[in-house]
Amino acid sequence: MAHAEKLTLSASLEDYLEAIYRIVAEKQVARAKDVGRRLKVGRSSVTGALHALADRQLIHYAPYDLVTLTDRGREVAEGVARRHEVLGDFFVSVLAVDPAEADAAACKLEHAVSENVLSRLLEFIDFVDRCPRGGTHWIQGFKRSCHTDKRPGHCETCLARAVNGVQAKHRKETHMDTNGEKKAGATLADLKPGGKATILTIGGAAGGIRRRLLDMGVTAGTRVEVERVAPLGDPIEVKIKGYHLTLRKEEAARIHVERS
Amino acid sequence: MANNIRHDEYETSAAGRLLTVALAGNPNAGKTTLFNALTGARQHVGNYPGVTVETFQGACTHGQIRLNLVDLPGTYSLTAYSPEERVARTFLIQERPDVVIDVIDATNLERNLYLAVQMLELGLPLVLALNMSDLAARRGIAFDLALLQALLGAPIIPTVGKTGEGKAELLDAVSAAGRRAAPPAPLRIAYGEALEAEIAPLQRRLEALGALPDGVPARWLAVKLLEGDADLVARLAHPEIASAAAEAAHRIEALAGDSAEALIADRRYGFISGACQEAVRHTVERRHELSDTIDAVATNRLFGLPIFLGLMYLVFSITFTLGEPPMRWIEAGFDALRGAIGGLWPAHSASLLRSLLINGIIGGVGGVLVFLPNILLLFLAIAILEDSGYMARAAFLMDRIMHKMGLHGKSFMPMLIGFGCSVPAILATRTLESRRDRLTTMLVVPLMSCGARLPIYALIIPAFFPEPWHGPMLWSIYLIGIALAVVCAKLLKSTLLRGETPPFVMELPPYRMPTLRSLSIHLWNRGGAYLRKAGTVILGISILLWAMQQWPGIPAREAEALAGRRAAAQTLVDDAARTHALAQVGGDEAEAALRASLMGRLGRGLEPALRPCGFDWKLSTAMIGALAAKEVFVTQMGIIYALGGDPDEASAPLREKIRADYTPLAGFCVMLFCLISAPCMATIAVTRRESGSWRWALLQLGGLTLLAWVVTAAVFQGGSLLGIGI
Repeated sequence: MAHAEKLTLSASLEDYLEAIYRIVAEKQVARAKDVGRRLKVGRSSVTGALHALADRQLIHYAPYDLVTLTDRGREVAEGVARRHEVLGDFFVSVLAVDPAEADAAACKLEHAVSENVLSRLLEFIDFVDRCPRGGTHWIQGFKRSCHTDKRPGHCETCLARAVNGVQAKHRKETHMDTNGEKKAGATLADLKPGGKATILTIGGAAGGIRRRLLDMGVTAGTRVEVERVAPLGDPIEVKIKGYHLTLRKEEAARIHVERS
Repeated sequence: MANNIRHDEYETSAAGRLLTVALAGNPNAGKTTLFNALTGARQHVGNYPGVTVETFQGACTHGQIRLNLVDLPGTYSLTAYSPEERVARTFLIQERPDVVIDVIDATNLERNLYLAVQMLELGLPLVLALNMSDLAARRGIAFDLALLQALLGAPIIPTVGKTGEGKAELLDAVSAAGRRAAPPAPLRIAYGEALEAEIAPLQRRLEALGALPDGVPARWLAVKLLEGDADLVARLAHPEIASAAAEAAHRIEALAGDSAEALIADRRYGFISGACQEAVRHTVERRHELSDTIDAVATNRLFGLPIFLGLMYLVFSITFTLGEPPMRWIEAGFDALRGAIGGLWPAHSASLLRSLLINGIIGGVGGVLVFLPNILLLFLAIAILEDSGYMARAAFLMDRIMHKMGLHGKSFMPMLIGFGCSVPAILATRTLESRRDRLTTMLVVPLMSCGARLPIYALIIPAFFPEPWHGPMLWSIYLIGIALAVVCAKLLKSTLLRGETPPFVMELPPYRMPTLRSLSIHLWNRGGAYLRKAGTVILGISILLWAMQQWPGIPAREAEALAGRRAAAQTLVDDAARTHALAQVGGDEAEAALRASLMGRLGRGLEPALRPCGFDWKLSTAMIGALAAKEVFVTQMGIIYALGGDPDEASAPLREKIRADYTPLAGFCVMLFCLISAPCMATIAVTRRESGSWRWALLQLGGLTLLAWVVTAAVFQGGSLLGIGI
């Protein structure tokens, strides 16, 4: 019987259920007027829909009372919301569609898409993000080709970049594996003048100094070269992203690097 | 701090539309130079990260459109990490300028675009000025501007700030951007699945709130919340969303193995380096640049410090040796003026107006103006160090020592400027990121003996010490100031302003040749400020002090007695004896007049408190004047002693008089007290403004005065006991 009811849930009722789910997630409880405002429909339509959902035991509802989801209602609503999010995410981050447009399209498609298609879509998003031939850079390229630039080219640089990325990632992983927590790897402070390295991570608390280092371009994968040490032994001067930066050894010791 | 732009001040008719245009960019990208090229304003440019610490404004017209340009402090990011960055970000978000020009150093594109990308994400109507494009071309960097514009979605105009090249095109682009009806859609950077999965729900929750503070895009705010931007969390005032963002950041960290802020910065830089890889080509292999060669010597392990010390010595010796001849000219000029004005009255006339003009105004203002050459030379030397880029190296060299004091290499710059004047020095503390550091530096800066104290030393040292001692004596006073500053900084950092040592992360800009234009602008501004001070504050104080010494006059009974003595002296037959007796009466009369005057009463009131330091009521009186402005001490002494006879201050006669009245030990104590004690009113006012509360200004005033009293009293008592310099 439950199965039969799930099939008979119309697209519009699914929308109502999803709306209630989101309102509850934000405010703990939903009122009929919140639902109406969210879906931009009149009071009477809301009352009708709420009755229909209550009949299917998806929500607890009595006129003028708060609306809450039943366990089964939450389950169904979560499914709808998830389909919406996955589709929206795919449109925005893979197809580079404008977020508002993506949201509207996801809202329509969410009622039709099957569970299997959905999980494939999820896997695909994940794959694009993980695969060195894909990745955000690749998607950026797609976005650009949609808007302006139809010409091919840059294929070599793009591929070289992908290979570099794989190698850097590999290095980073092996670095983590072999050194682990106890035996820390090399830091920028360990480098002698003339020493070159690639940055792996920046340790230390959030905000403050790490924030500043990140803003100055000291990010993972960036190449860095120690130029000199100040006459009194501290601070040091490094060359990074084509400019000169000076920092104390204390700060340099937070920057984990891979020597090259 | 930031000047508010009020649109209603200008009419915005169709013909003469007024655009508010903000100039943003990395420190050292040439913003201020471009600003000067656009507006023709006289604004100081420095080759030191963070010269623009306030927002400056200027206007210009381009065709039908009038532009109101606001020069923002240089920032690396919109993070609001340092006070300057907060000024810039607050302005961009809250004042919503019609167009933002982002000045980009073409030779350092990647790091400069980081700020540009953040502003594009914020949806600001941006025009990029690719500055120093001549330098980039010479280095063999070629840009595919059309492609770069398409990638970033903002117009890019190559400019050369120094020559004004590209100025017209830039203004064309600005007016075109200003004509656009709607602001551009925010740039969207793909932050990757792990981040996007957390950005999307946050963004939805923010969108559901309706109007966001200052109308920022929801996605931008969501990213900033994930970065953990405390400032924006506070502005949003929505703890539920803030805690959701914090949780999301934790989830990201667990999932990706790196913090959300690091990942976000990575992605942004990734986007930029992708764009640069496509649109920028290096046609020439990077050569070793001249700047690197200079640095190989100037910051060398062996030569770096000797060069630094040599340069500092040069700064001071230039200030004093080159300043000597013009000083004598100015002195001679005032003497001539004094003679000319004095000649309008019969000799020994008791005219009040004559006394006011000669003793009050010329004596007071002249005594201060004499030091203009010194001060200009010191500022010139500092300007050259700043503009050439050496100042950043000085911070690099000195950081270890400053660090030991619990301060930052960048504190060195305000301290050095402090030798010129405490007021710009305190303003320069804005380049310090940590508030504790800023306050510590601000509070101890007055211990760096400023230019205004120089007249005091110049008066006292030759009066009490033989010629070979002059140099070492001056050095010792400066060194005592520095030593006390070190002690005080250490003390403050371990008590009131205790806290984590701030990090030292700073760009070393390439060396550049200081331009004559920039140096003259610098001198014009600072020298002008000194002249204005002499013309207004010091003039006023001189007149006030003069008046306080004139009135209320000698009491009737004493005056009668003096008149009697004078009459008796007149009757003496012997010429020599008569002259001597008359002079004695005259001296006694002058002293009686001063003792009875308002100023003398104040000084006498202070005398018991200052007696342990070796000061009598005359010196105490002069110290009151010194509180208004240090150099007034000299003026004051001049006026006090001039009352008795020939009015010629700040020169040999005055020195002889004080030598007759005081011991060398007392003279040294005067210098010590003037060095340490309460800074001048202008310093206190600027400390109050920069620290944001009277508490710190009063602490500075009280603390330094107390320190001065303790040190001076200890020296005087110790010296008297041991019989040194009496």
